[in-house]
Amino acid sequence: MVPVSASNTIAPVRVTPHRASAKEGARQAQIHRLLPKPLLIVILAALLVFSMVPVLYIFFASINSDLAVARGAFWPTELTFENYSKIWTTVDLGTGLVNSVLVAGGVAIVCAGLSVSTAYVLVRYAFRGRLLVLRGLLALQSIPGTLLLLPVFVLFSSAASTLGVQIIGTRWGLFLTYLTFALPFSTWVMVTYLRGLPRELEEAARLDGASPFKILTRISVPLSWPGIVVSGIFAFLLGWNDVLFASVMTRPESRTVAVSLQIFGATQEGGAVPVYGQMMAAALVCAVPVVVLYLIFQRYLVGGLTAGGVK
Amino acid sequence: MVTTPEARTRADALAADTTPEARTRADALAANAAASADATPARTAARRGGHPAPSSPPTGRPRRARKIGERDRPLWMLAPGGILMVVVILVPLVLGLVISLMDLDQYTLRQWISAPFIGITNYVEALTKSTLIQSIGISVGYAVLVTLICLPIGVAAALATQNRFRGRGLVRSLFLVPYVLPTFVVGTVWRTMLQPDGVGNAMLKNFGIDGGLWLNGPQSYWALVFVQIWASWPFIYLLVLSGLQSVDSEVHEASALDGAGWWTKLRYVILPYLKGPITLALIISFLHSVNNFTLPFVLFGIPAPADVNVLPVLTYITGFQNFRFGLSAAMAVISLILIAIPLFIYLRAVKLDTGEDGGSRVRK
Repeated sequence: MVPVSASNTIAPVRVTPHRASAKEGARQAQIHRLLPKPLLIVILAALLVFSMVPVLYIFFASINSDLAVARGAFWPTELTFENYSKIWTTVDLGTGLVNSVLVAGGVAIVCAGLSVSTAYVLVRYAFRGRLLVLRGLLALQSIPGTLLLLPVFVLFSSAASTLGVQIIGTRWGLFLTYLTFALPFSTWVMVTYLRGLPRELEEAARLDGASPFKILTRISVPLSWPGIVVSGIFAFLLGWNDVLFASVMTRPESRTVAVSLQIFGATQEGGAVPVYGQMMAAALVCAVPVVVLYLIFQRYLVGGLTAGGVK
Repeated sequence: MVTTPEARTRADALAADTTPEARTRADALAANAAASADATPARTAARRGGHPAPSSPPTGRPRRARKIGERDRPLWMLAPGGILMVVVILVPLVLGLVISLMDLDQYTLRQWISAPFIGITNYVEALTKSTLIQSIGISVGYAVLVTLICLPIGVAAALATQNRFRGRGLVRSLFLVPYVLPTFVVGTVWRTMLQPDGVGNAMLKNFGIDGGLWLNGPQSYWALVFVQIWASWPFIYLLVLSGLQSVDSEVHEASALDGAGWWTKLRYVILPYLKGPITLALIISFLHSVNNFTLPFVLFGIPAPADVNVLPVLTYITGFQNFRFGLSAAMAVISLILIAIPLFIYLRAVKLDTGEDGGSRVRK
């Protein structure tokens, strides 16, 4: 009984070639070609070298000896996976990884839940100030972290003296900070996703007397898993990648892996033999969870990246 | 209890019709929508906590239906996120403004409320006695340079991967890897590569170039520009690629019929389509570079060489190395003013609302 929305009924009037022959396909490809072939090959080769050589270097250096890396070797002179076993004692990478997984993982889950309910209200209901909230979501993403670092630090320190709750130096402080900073973007991702969902199912449920909360949990959430995963991953990345807040708000035992690696790197020069091979192994270990997440959810993530435009 | 917008719209449309039977149909429709939505008033009222369920007379005029619809918006679902954002973003924002007017250091930090209030002295000191002006110059210069160099790279990459070829999927994935790597990893890796005896200089030696120092002295600026370009060009690539998807097939057909060469087609047919995405990409890329703290911090360490003492790093050092919290807050506020202009353009450029949203339907 729900009338089909206009966008569904007006089909684009386009004569698509029915079962295009190979010849026709080739003609189409010719027409759609943007660059001549030699130029295309030059661009692709140059950009692949530009972007992939440093990435390959991380791997090569991580299986090279510390000394060879310090001397500037690109290709590994001796194959050794020793670096990967040594890093756990050279630097407390294990604690960092556990902290990062706990904080960023927790942020991802809570943020995904909060952003979907917030976005649902923003997309489906009208209220005074709705546009202001939407605009605010975009503006809040762009506030530089350095502006908020000090006041947040002061605020959290006062919580210790006035409320008796120690936040600075604990994982909770980081959790709260990252969760809040991730919310605007994750909510924006969910807003763009929920807009694309058909309303018909929700309306059917509404006619059956379902409450808004029930409609959200039983209908909208199951339909929007891809969007929820993306907003969760972006929240995870924010927590995983941050150095600014973690460098100020943590103690050695609550350090995230980002700070561990940064300190590891900053303390190399001046020492006897810098352990660059191990450092590259540690860098790779820090990068792997992120790259794996990206490879698995690439299709969805790319859409999300362009939706809000923030790393 | 929200009536369906479609039902409402239809009821409204019919109500505009003045014939008696149309009126009746409109009333029936609206009543139907209202009644079915009112099926669970008690439960909903209980959840909304405190707001008593209003007695809903079964009038079922369209106007009435709308009012009922507006009463049951689950606005409480905005509360958790809203409270967090107010406490951890908006309150600190105001607090930052207050602190920038105070003489706050490590001794007065514990009782920061009673720290001496010194008006705009911090701002005056930041602008006249600190290296803030130099830092603004470095930050803006480097961000503009990075953005302008990333643009042709991103556009070329998007054009090259738009047409189908064997292995295109792989190439597209590989292009994004530098962008996906965490910034602290990028910084650590390039810090190693750019050591005086590192692999960077070893490669330059193959071409007969003596690289010299990259992490200290005047060349550090170019190191920062280069690494930031390496890590951030794929973002422009992504936005341009999504812009290219919106070019219709007919456009290609038409330019082929006109016998346009590839450059003519690119310059006069394709590029005009990309104006929007490119503008957006430039603004965001600029903001991203100006705000980037992690890369210079990890790449050069603290204290940063004077040539790469960008705004976020200067603010950080003033606050958490020199413990001049008030001065640091003043610098942060000045940097916010600096990014306000591109930010404003960005906010205007992004389409906030679409016709499909609940809001635009109810608002008249």
